[in-house]
Amino acid sequence: MLASIFNSPYFYPSIYHWLVLSSALFSIGIYGFLTRKNAVGILISLELCLNSGALNFVVFDYFRGNHIDGKIMALFIIAVAAAEVVIAMAIFVGMFKHKKTIDVTEMNQMRN
Amino acid sequence: MTLEMLVYAAFFYVFAFCAILLAICAVVTKRILRSAVYLMGVLLISAAFYVMLNAQFLAGVQVLVYVGGIVVLLVYAVMLTQTSQVLETLPSRIRNTLGFFVGVGFFCFSLWCIFNSDLTLITINSKNINLATQDIRAIGKKLLSTERGGYAVAFEVLSILLLVSVLGGIVLARKISPGETSPKETHVG
Repeated sequence: MLASIFNSPYFYPSIYHWLVLSSALFSIGIYGFLTRKNAVGILISLELCLNSGALNFVVFDYFRGNHIDGKIMALFIIAVAAAEVVIAMAIFVGMFKHKKTIDVTEMNQMRN
Repeated sequence: MTLEMLVYAAFFYVFAFCAILLAICAVVTKRILRSAVYLMGVLLISAAFYVMLNAQFLAGVQVLVYVGGIVVLLVYAVMLTQTSQVLETLPSRIRNTLGFFVGVGFFCFSLWCIFNSDLTLITINSKNINLATQDIRAIGKKLLSTERGGYAVAFEVLSILLLVSVLGGIVLARKISPGETSPKETHVG
C-alpha cells in the first residue's frame, strides 16, 4: 500500500505540486490582507503574497531548463519588497504620531 | 524511485506542510509580534525551497534581506506603533467570511488555471545541476550585461529606487517637520 504511493508518478514533486503550494501561500496572504485591521498585519500578509510570487518565478525558472531570468526576477522582487517595507514603516510611524493608532478601519478622514 | 528522489519528495512535503501551517498562523493570530515571527518561519522555509530548486544564491539573499532585514524592520514597526492594547481586535464576521471566500475562490481559480494550462516542460536530469558558484557567476553576468537579454538598466533603476526609498523613509519618519526650526528636546550631543 505504502510502496504503491511512493512509486506512483504523482508522488514526486512536479511543477504542479510547486504551483499549488505557491498559490496556496498567495491565497492565505489574500485572506490576511482582507481581514487584518492592524496596518502592520496587512504588511505581513503582503509579504506572504510577494514571497509566493518570487517562489513562482524560481519554480518556472527551474522547470523550464534553468535559465537565469527567473532568479533575477526573484531578486528584483526581494529588493522592491525591501524598499516597500521601508516606506510603509515610515508611513505607519507618521500615522501613529498623528492618530495614536494604526487600525486601518479608523483611517477614514478622507471619506465623504 | 531512487532513495535520493524519495528524500527530495519527503523534504518537499514536510516543508510545504510547515510553510502552509505557519502562513495560516501568521494571518490568524491576534498578537502582531507573533505574526512577524511566523512570517520569519515562512521566509526561512522559502529559502529551503530555493535550495531545493537549485537557486542557492537566491536562498542566501532571502535569508540576508528578508529574514535579516525586513522581519527586523517589521518588528521595529510593531514596537514603535504599540498602544496599550497589544491584542488586535477580531475582524467582524462579514469581513472574515468575505475574506475567506475571496481567498478560497482565488485558490480554486488558480488551481483551475494550473491544471487546464498546457505546461510544456523540460524534464530535469539530476546530473545537469549547476554548481552554486556557476550559478552566482551567471546571475552576476546577466544582471550587469548591457547586451540583449541583460538587466543593466533595471539594476540601475532598482538602485535609484532603494536610495529614494531610504531618503523617503527618513523624511517621513523624522521628528521635526521640514518647516519648523529644531526644538530643544531633539538637540543631540
